[in-house]
Amino acid sequence: MASQSSSLRRPVAFRGVGRSILLTLPIALWSLLMFTPSFQRSGLDLRIASAVTIVFMTTLFFLMMRTGETYRWRRIFFVAVGFLFPFGFIASLIAERGSMSIPVSRMVSGDTPFCFMVTPSLILPAAFARTIIFPGSILPTASNPRSIAAMIGIWFAMTLVLGKAWCSYACFFGGIEEGFASFAKRPRLHKLVVRYSHILRLVPWAILVFVVLVSAAIFEPVYCMWLCPFKAVTEFPAVRNVETAIQMGIFVALFVGLVVVLPYLTKKRTQCGFFCPFGAFQSIFNKINLFEIRFNREKCVDCTLCQTSCPTVALSKESIAEGKTLLNCMKCGACVDVCKKDAAVWHLKGTPVAVKPERARLLFLYGAWAMATMFGGSILANSVATMMHWLPWK
Amino acid sequence: MEVMEEATEFVLSHPSAEKSGWMGHTDLWEVKEEHMRARILSILAYTGAGLTLLIAVCVPFVLFQSFSNVVAHAGLHIDPTYSGGTIARTIQRDGYRIVVYQTVKPRLLERAEPFVQIVFEPADSLPARVSDEVDLDGDGRPDVRISFSVPADATAKMHGDVTALNGGYVSLANVADESFSRMVVRAGNQIVVRVPVK
Repeated sequence: MASQSSSLRRPVAFRGVGRSILLTLPIALWSLLMFTPSFQRSGLDLRIASAVTIVFMTTLFFLMMRTGETYRWRRIFFVAVGFLFPFGFIASLIAERGSMSIPVSRMVSGDTPFCFMVTPSLILPAAFARTIIFPGSILPTASNPRSIAAMIGIWFAMTLVLGKAWCSYACFFGGIEEGFASFAKRPRLHKLVVRYSHILRLVPWAILVFVVLVSAAIFEPVYCMWLCPFKAVTEFPAVRNVETAIQMGIFVALFVGLVVVLPYLTKKRTQCGFFCPFGAFQSIFNKINLFEIRFNREKCVDCTLCQTSCPTVALSKESIAEGKTLLNCMKCGACVDVCKKDAAVWHLKGTPVAVKPERARLLFLYGAWAMATMFGGSILANSVATMMHWLPWK
Repeated sequence: MEVMEEATEFVLSHPSAEKSGWMGHTDLWEVKEEHMRARILSILAYTGAGLTLLIAVCVPFVLFQSFSNVVAHAGLHIDPTYSGGTIARTIQRDGYRIVVYQTVKPRLLERAEPFVQIVFEPADSLPARVSDEVDLDGDGRPDVRISFSVPADATAKMHGDVTALNGGYVSLANVADESFSRMVVRAGNQIVVRVPVK
């Protein structure tokens, strides 16, 4: 968000270069460790892309340490993942099957790559009928390495570390709308969003309940088949009749509306904040995560700058008065960075509020950035390698 | 005494101290207790934060695979509407085989019709034109005649015909991939045919 970036509270260096380098060292080593397998594999493109990703992720972390800001640098990573993921993914689909659409033949042979967004819909059928209502394969196969077991395993392990911060450090879809939200200089529908935010933030919960119950009733992943905006930029069921044509129309309309137009007009992540059932599901894990944002009421002047800057309306006047965020806070750091009074602080549950907030921020960021490097970093490296493969002189 | 002073100083600096109005009528034992409680909570919090970091480090090396194994060995299966269900029997033909699956009966609100999946494999050993009478229910008499041409191009869209030889099955003319219960498609090195059951 351009207006937020310009009003960030720390224009000068927050930490010295030496100390910042020292604090960045663990992440630099982690990045090297994560991409060592890429260097051992053949393919110059992937090696170069991995090297670029290591430098990119390490530099952003260094800047977080040096400036004391989180949101601005995280956003660069996140938007890069959001915009590059579809490139890499679509390229792999076209190379593999010549099209973005997934034909029925691939569904019946279990070749649909699993996406974490469908996870909540799987719980009831898996619990009561031991059935997975997704046309993928449980174990990885040669034609489908993105198996259900592997993707659920990585999602759950990362969720233990990130909680709802998954939505701002790991989700490869959220970056697309965060990118479109950052293009506009100022929000045009801000008053509307603020006025109805108490209703809007309940919509993802309603959609979550709806998709979980209906999916369990009809044994179909309803969100995937009918409501996912990101099908428009990844893969979708091949259009073969009126029903699949309507599905495709819904995907495109939701993508254009919720991921492109509304984020641009509101400067909010409208799909994440007002629609995404997986985001609502992920909010539950904020309860078991130790890191959060709190407000030091002694310093807070109720300027509501934090509320305005929050990309998913995870703050209300009441919550700020209580010194807390709402359950759907995804720990992006926008409110902390924008607060001119240092009232918004990173916090480790169980410790006194506003005592050593930077320590809490560091502890959170090490875990979050490690996950971001491992998951988002590999997406970046693969996408960059794919783009390099298309270079005209190759 | 030094501990008490430290405790007093800590509680005074604690934001909740003023709010709770402890000053003036709380004795030093309560202050010490509060100090100890806060200290224990902090120790637990930092231990938890350390564990979270440990989990983060373990994710790519141990945890990811462990959680994947839990899912893989949880006794779950893919919904038969997608997978075709379980194999009933295999019929050997000259140069290829026909795998007949058990009838898939959708659940109460499931939209798919009941169907039987029949797989011809390996696809690259099939003759250019296949026309086979297949016994689906295992009573020794053919139930359907399945006919299709195998295109030389493995990615070409397929069409086929199913003629029901008894009233228990639905005939299909020039079917391709209409729905999960009506199809003749190529999936890898297999030709998958699904015939609706009445």
